[in-house]
Amino acid sequence: MAELIPTQPDPGHEDDHHHGEQSFVSKYLLSTDHKVIAMQYMFTGMAMALIGGFMAYAFRMQLAFPGMDVPFFGIVTPANYVALVTNHGAIMIFWVAMPVLIAAFGNYLIPLMVGCDDMVFPKINRLSYQVFLVSAIVLLSSFFVEGGGFGGAWTTYPPLSAKAEYNLTPLGSSLFIGAVGIEFIAFLLGGINFITTAMNSRAPGMKLYDIPMVIWMIVIASILFMVSVGPLLAGAIMLIFDQQLHTAFYDPNRGGDPVLWQHLFWFFGHPEVYVVLLPAVGITAEIITVFSRKKLFAYRTVLNTAIGTGVLSFCVWAHHQFISGIDPRMANVFTLTTLLISIPIAEMMFVYIATLYGGAIRLTTPMLWALAFIFEFLIGGVTGIFLGASGADIYMHDTYFVLAHFHYTFFPIAIIGTYAGVTYWFPKMFGKMMSDRLGKLHFWGTIIPFNFIFIPLFFLGAGGQHRRIYDFQNFPALAGEGMQDLRILATVSLVVMLGFQVVFFYNFIISLMRGEKAGKNPWKANTLEWTAESPPPHGNWKVLPTVYRGPYEYSVPGREKDYWPQDEPN
Amino acid sequence: MSEEHEEHHTNYVKIWAILVVLLAISVAGPELEILWITLITAFGIAFVKAYIVVQKFMHLGDAPKFVTYVMVTCLVFMMLFIAGTASDIYKSNGENWYKIESEWQYMPPVAQHDEGHGAADEESH
Repeated sequence: MAELIPTQPDPGHEDDHHHGEQSFVSKYLLSTDHKVIAMQYMFTGMAMALIGGFMAYAFRMQLAFPGMDVPFFGIVTPANYVALVTNHGAIMIFWVAMPVLIAAFGNYLIPLMVGCDDMVFPKINRLSYQVFLVSAIVLLSSFFVEGGGFGGAWTTYPPLSAKAEYNLTPLGSSLFIGAVGIEFIAFLLGGINFITTAMNSRAPGMKLYDIPMVIWMIVIASILFMVSVGPLLAGAIMLIFDQQLHTAFYDPNRGGDPVLWQHLFWFFGHPEVYVVLLPAVGITAEIITVFSRKKLFAYRTVLNTAIGTGVLSFCVWAHHQFISGIDPRMANVFTLTTLLISIPIAEMMFVYIATLYGGAIRLTTPMLWALAFIFEFLIGGVTGIFLGASGADIYMHDTYFVLAHFHYTFFPIAIIGTYAGVTYWFPKMFGKMMSDRLGKLHFWGTIIPFNFIFIPLFFLGAGGQHRRIYDFQNFPALAGEGMQDLRILATVSLVVMLGFQVVFFYNFIISLMRGEKAGKNPWKANTLEWTAESPPPHGNWKVLPTVYRGPYEYSVPGREKDYWPQDEPN
Repeated sequence: MSEEHEEHHTNYVKIWAILVVLLAISVAGPELEILWITLITAFGIAFVKAYIVVQKFMHLGDAPKFVTYVMVTCLVFMMLFIAGTASDIYKSNGENWYKIESEWQYMPPVAQHDEGHGAADEESH
């Protein structure tokens, strides 16, 4: 599909080529350049992460010190509490993990790593970000309408979410669902671009098995998202109808079916986990091969297991619903498929460990993040086995055990994966090296408190502590000294962890201003983005590269250098 | 190009005629009230009609192969979703998958309960 790579600037592109004449608005706000859009997604995602983190801080303070006047927030009322918990979940998944891992890294990396000058549909790409920004504004505006932000959990189960007399947020609940719906439109637009660009605009010579793993992962994730999102969008529209027009799709009093929403939601919701997981797995693959100077142990195995994970992820959704009154016969089926899906994921982990084995490992900051991803995600995966088995889940359901489990999956994905990617590609994005010393300080300051937040929650959950409860002092069995101590430990660790994020932002800014200049290829990596200037100009390369080999040819015997860039002719 | 267009145009009328004939069969078949004839004429012919519409009216036959793959994938996922939820959403022991339990459990008792019920049943078929 060589005709899709415009060698002459097309009319729509023309004005972008005169950088000097552009105003701030047309260069940074209305740009069609994939790198600028990636940065817009990333900075919006980071801003939302700060908001989501602040929400976590506010409600964790309430749990550890009930009734306290929380600094920078005030008294957390019960309505505040449920709204904070709900929006923390939704923001971290839909407005942090998705935009940063898929949209930001996808936009930045796909054209650079497959060797083309921009996305195939640059204007759709720009529209995608604009729609995304609108969705973020709609979500945040839900806090300022009458009744306040929606507090019926990010899963928005009806009838609680469907009836204003139950959730007490007549407008907030619709704005919440509407924001999620708008956001999905943004990612559908983005997904079209990612898949088309990666499949049609590859550099000459780049065969399917020469595509870097992170690009494959983002493409597979985009396909998963596009296939799964339909039922939820339809369900969301029905839910808004229930809220505003008083229809009865989910109202059992009038023949509706609340379990239908759970099916529609989780048919999307579970693949969504893999939508955000796969890009993080791909980022890890890039980093561990570079910093262990070894070929990825089994490229095709990782690719096939990713596809297998994707297919299986559509067959497991009802494991979220074991106690919601689904047919017990189906619980057997979904237990089986849920336990099956751990096999491809475990296989990926084994491939990564085998890649590390015997490698010349350099413990740089990105490598530390990548190793932490493998280790922490493993804990998340293993505790998922307890919950995937329907028998154990009947006890564990909706306890803090579930909460700790999915934070051990989502934190490695959304936070560790992002930090791994940002620290690894920072030299390419901004042309400067990040401080390794500050990076390591930030790494340990994040990872150690993270474990101290969530390991106590496993114990609390196994001890019977349920989720979404405002004040445990009302429950004598849960208000004991030991349990409260664990809650305080988790909260204090959270505050420490959030405090250490200042180091990251300080490092980010100080490296931008005074960082050591990064050459084209500071990590001595093979993939194409490292053959462009740092930062790459508009259009990425003067002459588009040609590819001669796969992306992971490190330490090839008989070669002087231990890396072999993809575009280097023998 | 214009010749091709002409060919399509004649096709449309022919296909429409075939669809009308099939419609007549699918209406007439169940009238015999023999179970297997009803199944074949109602559902079997619906599949044939859907295939013809997709292939000819929606031009899937002329589209690149992957369009077919995308469509088949969508159908597979739809079937998967229905298979996973059918046992909750529909009840095999109800009246032909009409969710009768929710009806008698939650409906406020009314005088003509049986009649109303029957009417709702008819509608659902």
